[in-house]
Amino acid sequence: MTPKIELREVSHTYTRGASTVAAFERLSISIGAGEFVSIVGPSGCGKTTLLFSVAGFLRPTHGSVLVDGKPVGGPGPDRGVVFQSFALFNWLSIRHNIEFGLRMAGVEAARRRARSDQLLSMVGLARFADRYPYELSGGMKQRTAISRALATDPDILLMDEPFAALDAQSREMMQEELVRIWDATRKTIMFVTHSIDEAIYLSSRVIVFTARPGRVKHTLDIRLPEPRYDPHVRTSLEFMAAKESILDLVREETVKQFKEESSP
Amino acid sequence: MTRAKHALLSTLAIIFALGVWLAVSEGGLVSPKVLVSPVGLVRQFFALITDGYLGTPLSTHIFASLLRTTIGFLCGAALALPIGLAIGYSPLLYALVSPFLAVLRPIPVIAYIPLAILWFGIGEFSKILLIAITSFLYMTVNTAAGVKAVPEDVIRAALSLGASRLQLFLLVILPESLPYIFAGIRVGAAVSWAVVVSAELIAAQQGLGYLIMDAATFFRIPAVYVGIALIGVIGFVIDRLISFAERRLVHWSAR
Repeated sequence: MTPKIELREVSHTYTRGASTVAAFERLSISIGAGEFVSIVGPSGCGKTTLLFSVAGFLRPTHGSVLVDGKPVGGPGPDRGVVFQSFALFNWLSIRHNIEFGLRMAGVEAARRRARSDQLLSMVGLARFADRYPYELSGGMKQRTAISRALATDPDILLMDEPFAALDAQSREMMQEELVRIWDATRKTIMFVTHSIDEAIYLSSRVIVFTARPGRVKHTLDIRLPEPRYDPHVRTSLEFMAAKESILDLVREETVKQFKEESSP
Repeated sequence: MTRAKHALLSTLAIIFALGVWLAVSEGGLVSPKVLVSPVGLVRQFFALITDGYLGTPLSTHIFASLLRTTIGFLCGAALALPIGLAIGYSPLLYALVSPFLAVLRPIPVIAYIPLAILWFGIGEFSKILLIAITSFLYMTVNTAAGVKAVPEDVIRAALSLGASRLQLFLLVILPESLPYIFAGIRVGAAVSWAVVVSAELIAAQQGLGYLIMDAATFFRIPAVYVGIALIGVIGFVIDRLISFAERRLVHWSAR
């Protein structure tokens, strides 16, 4: 079976001032349909760049990025993207934000409304349908953004540190909500984070990246007690064991990155 | 600070300033030929309303200035919006056009007056052109800045939701830059209104600028003050009107 997302020997370099920086080097990752894969690594290890090359926002300098076996040519509604900055359309109501992709696809108003109603009630924002993003809290903004990405029913959801801008409590709530959404929809999710706990709690597989240039340092399959949205999963033995096994690996790379950044 | 407190303090400041003005002018500290008292100003204002200035009604002068400003401003805006959007969107066009804007913007409009007369004579066209140029320069720069300030992630979000280039421009970049465009409109309108006085230095027969110049030439000092005060008050009203429209149309900005 062809993997949903396949990265073959991809490398990406960019120029910063006079020097060239390698974001990641000769990466090969394959993600099957319905998997939830998190990429963890120190900041600047190229994980966002990698996610954005799957989204089609940029083309890696070497290697190929395949979705359903076909090379990615650019951004498209088959891959929903959720950003750390929310990237909501401030001049549109919550409902119209969610319906944006459907509008681009030429879906008629009545069907758009039915779909946005469904998503609004799924994420608990039905009462806020006619509000604007500036009237919402960070958690509500990100729930809007996730609904917007899901509206066109893409097979793939690409999430770039989506909860990094939220406070600790909303962050946990959003993680539980995402687990529920994944349970209900079984989307293929590629999730970038620098939080080990977040990666373990959400994912079926965690990939640990090295410091720049990013490479796969370690891959870990996660099995946690079900139902996963139970908050006590976070203190289960399985959770602790998984954390124990990658904590040092991530720390090693973070220290490396830190040293590189502070050396003259 | 609460709104009520703000309003109270502002009112007190105005009353205080009026009091000082009244004391200085009526107390005989300064000759009334140099500084007109508030009472004299109001008296002159009503005299101008009933008798007009040298036989021409005051409203004719106000209307003449407003008409020039409006036409000049609208011409400037009609060019500034498409050009600003284009150079904000295309780095190539920006590189080609922005040096001219950067050099032209600091030049005070008075500097163009001799050239405007030389090229286009002393008719209405010269005056309107000066207003149009000034408002154009301000609004173009702001519009371009608005387009450039659209967050990269918002553009990416729209593209990943299936927006075409045209949809991206009309449905995302344009509304997202509206707060900047409105700020430009506000400054552009204020500057246009300020420039009308300079423009009316060009041998005008009507307008508040003409009234001030003519009154000053013939030492009708109270009329000079009324002209200046009217420009201030009308400018304030224009700004309030645009600000009202702004709050309605770009309600999401500045929150």
